Amino acid sequence: MSRLLGRRTLLALGVAALAAVPTFANPYVVFVGNQLMLYVILAVGLNILVGYAGQLAFANAAMFGIGAYGTGLLQVHFGVPYYAAAPAGALLAMLIGLAMAWPALRLSGLYLALATLAFAQFTLWVFLHWESVTFGAGGFKVPPPSFAPLPLPSNLGIYYLSLLAMAALVAIAWNVVRSRIGRAFVAIRDGEVAAQALGIDLFRYKAIAFGMSGLYAGIAGALHSALLNYVSPEGFDLFQMVLHKAMIVVGGLGSLAGSVVGATTLTLILEALREFKSTQEIAFGALLLVFVIFMPDGIVAALKQRLQGWEEPLRRVRGRPGAAAGAEARP
Amino acid sequence: MAGIRMWTLGLCAALAAGPAALAQTPGVTADSIKIGSFGPITGANYLYGKLAMNGVEVAFDEVNKQGGIHGRKLTLVREDDRCDPATAIAAVKKLIFQEQVFAISGGGCSNSAVAARDEVERAAVPWVVFAAVHDGITTPPAPTIFSTALTSSIESAAQVEFAVSQGAKRIAILSMRDSWGRARYAPLMEAFKKKGITPVADEEISPDANDATPQVLRLRQANPDAVILVVYPKPAAIFLRDATKFAFKPLTIGQSAIADPAAFEEQVALPGATSNFVTISQVRFSPSDPEMEKWRTAIEAKFPGDRLSVFNMFGIGSAQALMAALRAAGPDLTREKFVAAMAGLKDVKTDTYGGLITCSTTDHRCNKAPAWLKKEPGGPVKLVAVTPVE
Repeated sequence: MSRLLGRRTLLALGVAALAAVPTFANPYVVFVGNQLMLYVILAVGLNILVGYAGQLAFANAAMFGIGAYGTGLLQVHFGVPYYAAAPAGALLAMLIGLAMAWPALRLSGLYLALATLAFAQFTLWVFLHWESVTFGAGGFKVPPPSFAPLPLPSNLGIYYLSLLAMAALVAIAWNVVRSRIGRAFVAIRDGEVAAQALGIDLFRYKAIAFGMSGLYAGIAGALHSALLNYVSPEGFDLFQMVLHKAMIVVGGLGSLAGSVVGATTLTLILEALREFKSTQEIAFGALLLVFVIFMPDGIVAALKQRLQGWEEPLRRVRGRPGAAAGAEARP
Repeated sequence: MAGIRMWTLGLCAALAAGPAALAQTPGVTADSIKIGSFGPITGANYLYGKLAMNGVEVAFDEVNKQGGIHGRKLTLVREDDRCDPATAIAAVKKLIFQEQVFAISGGGCSNSAVAARDEVERAAVPWVVFAAVHDGITTPPAPTIFSTALTSSIESAAQVEFAVSQGAKRIAILSMRDSWGRARYAPLMEAFKKKGITPVADEEISPDANDATPQVLRLRQANPDAVILVVYPKPAAIFLRDATKFAFKPLTIGQSAIADPAAFEEQVALPGATSNFVTISQVRFSPSDPEMEKWRTAIEAKFPGDRLSVFNMFGIGSAQALMAALRAAGPDLTREKFVAAMAGLKDVKTDTYGGLITCSTTDHRCNKAPAWLKKEPGGPVKLVAVTPVE
């Protein structure tokens, strides 16, 4: 029975349930489901960088914004169709992510956090003030993509595109963290000097982590611009950054299942807390505290203690970094 | 027997047809009308959402006490958008598809309202905007979207018009360049262009500024007769405080974000600093005005600890315009009838707005009468003028 409640079964059921949502739910629920999938992509990308590679970066919301702005602006300024603009926007975010690996080679911990935070603020400043290109603080409307000849309206098309992207990106991340690259990420996280001594090229693997994280955020941004048909700076501010970080902490740092569980939990909690009206922020803060106090290793760690099938290769275990990678890695 | 069967069938058909007719109009029952509202309930911008919604609710309460509209009581369902476009779209979808509201009275932040416009337009749900000012919400007009807020272009035109009417020849600008400021700055420059005037100085200040000395010194150097402010109350207060220190006291013209001169005088907290300050208000009274006693009491009774604010008054005026259209739409309420009634509103007087509310099928900006308020230091708030803008 507990096997049935295992990670893979539940994730597969989740994907099936998400695929079925538009057949019975109203457009509000479909919209929330779509947002949930974008947050899963963002959380998985961020967890690769922070949870696996151990890089304390705070630029995920900026990368998300670069993907959205890149996609939207290519459509609006140059008339590029969505299917070309979206990959271009995502690639732009990935390239900027790759470039961030340079300072990450020399900086770590709080210094890296500050540098990436400064980059995020700079990006927001560009969105706000480079008005001839970004339309400034007022944002801009993006044309809805067409899914012809498929008989899908734009909102459903984006929904299923997001579902496909989410499933593919989670599967790719799953394979990457189980590969030599994933083991290199964990080695860097647990000790850069030791990793170098093992022959791991720090710059190469940090670049891969930053690039992957940027690509995931960029893809989420490209989908976000089509989901909203509107792009403005408010969507990529510090609140977003905190939300992405909270998702991976609540779900479980260094756990892909944790990213999915954390993104799902917080998206649904935020929507459910709408009922609390003006005390919503207090309730959200209190719930985060409950998670941090009672599940410090994330929901996934609590599930692992109670259910079989939640073991994960290279998952981070608090207090035993060196042992964790080895102990939990599968042959 | 056949007669009884026919009678039963007829009764069933009648019973089925009654609720079905009502069910065709979402949010409307025999004794209630459900109105949705979205705007910032949490966060720094809650003034434009939560407080305006409180105003809408007390206006509904007053009418409900008198039996409602055509026998139907009004209920308000609130959703928070945190001034975030994505959250605003989710809020609007929830109101339309989950809560099944009849109409929406809301929209506190410009970008959120602009982002939500397409969704509302697609669903053909009536929406009366109460606080967001962006011209893109109502221009070009969407069939079901109306605004009782002064839009940014109307306020900007009124600011330039007022400066000129006061004999100002050299006019300067102090503005914020965030989304709110941008929505006003662009039409302000258009208004200058239309008048053939070039501003003698154009300074920028951030919303969280703690010092305005550089701006004051640069503006003083330009020697303007009037300074038009496109800023929130805090930077405006900092500016006036620093300007007074440098004995720089031109005519200073605010807009509806600084709609309460009494509260603003307290915020500036420097005697005499606001003596040359005059501001636009969407409403023609200060919250402390005796005319507002009824609403002051209503707000304090329903929301203990709150004091009546101008943002409550935005909501009250907007709700009264909405209710006038509900009355005009008649007892057999449908969205189509309500939209037609909104488009036909003419010279509707509310308890709070500066002028009369008039909409048309081609122009859904229903409030075009900025009220000018001034408060002499130590004196009461006075209505200086109401400037209808075409």
